[in-house]
Amino acid sequence: MSIEMIEDSVKRLFAREVDKALIERVEQGEFASQLWDRIVESGFHRILSAESHGGIEADWETAYPVFHQLGYQQAPVPLAETIIANFILSAAGHGVDTDKPLAILDETAASGLALSHDDASGFRLNGEARSGKWVRWSSHALFHVPASGFVLARMDAPGVTLSQGKDISGMPADDIRFQDTPAERVFANPFPDLQQPMRTLGAAAKSAMMVGALEFALEQSVQYAKDRVQFGRPIGKNQAIQQQLAVLAGQAVTARSAAYVAARDMPHLGSLASPSAEFSVAAAKVCAGEAVRQGTSIAHQVHGAIGFTYEHSLNFATRRLWTWRGEFGNAAWWAERLGRAFVTAGADRFWENLADRTLPTA
Amino acid sequence: MEGLHIEVGELPPACESLRREVRAFIAEHRERFTCSVRAESWAGRDPEFTRLMAEKGWIGMTWPRKYGGQERTMLERYVVLEELLAVGAPMGFHWSAERQMGPLLMRYAPDTLAPRIVPRITRGETSFCIGMSEPDSGSDLASIRSKAVKVDGGWRISGRKVWTSGAHHAEYMVALVRTREKTEDRHAGMTQILIEMNRPGVTVRPLLSQMGKHIFNEVILDDVVVPDENLIGIEGEGWKQVTNELKYERSGPERFLSSTALLTEMIGAADAGDGRQVEAIGRVIANYAALRQMSQGIALMMSRGEDPALAASIVKDSGAVMEQSLPNIAHELFGEHIGTGSELEQVMDYLTAASPSFSLRGGTREILRGIIARGLGLR
Repeated sequence: MSIEMIEDSVKRLFAREVDKALIERVEQGEFASQLWDRIVESGFHRILSAESHGGIEADWETAYPVFHQLGYQQAPVPLAETIIANFILSAAGHGVDTDKPLAILDETAASGLALSHDDASGFRLNGEARSGKWVRWSSHALFHVPASGFVLARMDAPGVTLSQGKDISGMPADDIRFQDTPAERVFANPFPDLQQPMRTLGAAAKSAMMVGALEFALEQSVQYAKDRVQFGRPIGKNQAIQQQLAVLAGQAVTARSAAYVAARDMPHLGSLASPSAEFSVAAAKVCAGEAVRQGTSIAHQVHGAIGFTYEHSLNFATRRLWTWRGEFGNAAWWAERLGRAFVTAGADRFWENLADRTLPTA
Repeated sequence: MEGLHIEVGELPPACESLRREVRAFIAEHRERFTCSVRAESWAGRDPEFTRLMAEKGWIGMTWPRKYGGQERTMLERYVVLEELLAVGAPMGFHWSAERQMGPLLMRYAPDTLAPRIVPRITRGETSFCIGMSEPDSGSDLASIRSKAVKVDGGWRISGRKVWTSGAHHAEYMVALVRTREKTEDRHAGMTQILIEMNRPGVTVRPLLSQMGKHIFNEVILDDVVVPDENLIGIEGEGWKQVTNELKYERSGPERFLSSTALLTEMIGAADAGDGRQVEAIGRVIANYAALRQMSQGIALMMSRGEDPALAASIVKDSGAVMEQSLPNIAHELFGEHIGTGSELEQVMDYLTAASPSFSLRGGTREILRGIIARGLGLR
């Protein structure tokens, strides 16, 4: 499938299935099962997976519109998470026999997990993983435990308890406790260039989703500035408003460029090597995070009080943005990783690494 | 949104072999890039360095051979520029001639001025200044009062230009003047005209910048007479010609690389174990990565004949914001504990004082954001 076909198809799917009422129901605790079924019919939950595993075998650039539209239309489903879990399993040569949502928890979230092994009982999980998005609706959760590799666990396995919560956008965020839980599958990291594969893949997806939501906020703000009349003219005729919206546009374009380059640099089934992925994802997540900081503030300021109401559509984008900026490493975390690598490599290597899009290794 | 889209992409392979050639050239001349030279970046003037670049065929490298060019691609020029800017090479002597004046002359005076002057630009022999602003005309260029009056066989010019960078070294000025009184259409009646700086009636007076440096000037034009052929393009159409010319100056790599000397000094001085330092530097590097892809993406789009004017304005605006953030970041991370006279301090001090100009030169931030707002449909 071409990128245009994917974009067109995902746009139409979400436009048909996602509305404010659905998002509100999900915020109340429902699962958007009809939307999920339509997604499964489209195959987008396996867009990055091998054809032999029932996937579309697209690369990340081709799949970019799916992530972008998830943000732009704020579809309330764990599609990004499921795509990534399916992709990792497929890249490691494993098919998946369920179309249910799959949860992913990154290296930081999994840092409190211990994996043990003995011949009698195989691999066992113990410990706690914090704030797993959508876990309660997921059949499995996939973790990366750096010393052991990827660990797939069934959520209905013995010893799994969830402590349910919500994030700032009202979407489910659950802590998982494992007590001697058998792991369904343990496998090596198939991505030779990704030291923290889950954080990197997750941040690439979230950056694109953030760009989608930022563009939505920008368009809403520009439209509102044209429509809202005060002092006898549209507020957008005031230079004070124009200058603010120009800044928001600049932030959105910057974040988009970085997120798109990150998508191009990601590993895919055609090439699991991805020498620029960590560098480009770091840049993308930092730029997206900075765009959220300034951009959400501008969008709300331009909208005035109406944008602050639950009734208005703006908050469904901005609350998502405030959630996503913290997932899979916030801007500060990625900036630190990027900065430390470049400082360690030294000033003489700066330009070469920037031009090559390489995160230098010590 | 329409017009905001930047199609990012990779440069063709030919560019990468050229990149290696430029890096070898830089390595050969590394001793020229002292810290004070690097701090000035593309504002620094060094006629000798300009001639070294000319010998490589890197000045006007995209221009037709009949004008002394090499007929290389815009993308190859992009690579040469970004590599040289990354090391702070002093390209000021030929900068405005190469970026704007050569293309202007080839387009609007292809058979008269261009054959005589443009080959000398490519040989690094001549330098231009641009006469736009006046004491009462900054952002509002249509209010200029300098004028040219028709005389037998030529034009007689009188007026005053200010903030004219490099006028004291330049052989030529391209001045924007009125050839007709202002009418309802404020932008009509302006004309671009070439003035040889050694003509009688041209006086150049230094205006020192706040760094105490002589960079720009006041230029007084007191009944300067030039021949007919010095009129560039169409009489009265100067505004259109100028805005067309400015499009090419908004998204180049110089729009985000001006403070690179300070970033590399900071990287050199930072402690990899200091979380605050590495985070602050990492944020800058992330912005560098994004802006480079945006600037390069626009170059790719222009090389395909597209006209991403709105996106180009965004690169210039965002680039200047980032360039200007660097002296403040350096101050906060290192300001209290760097040695007096160290290279970090010299570069930081220079850019602290110089960077306010980054959102003034070639159009203020507010004008630029107004252009972006127009692109959003707000005006």
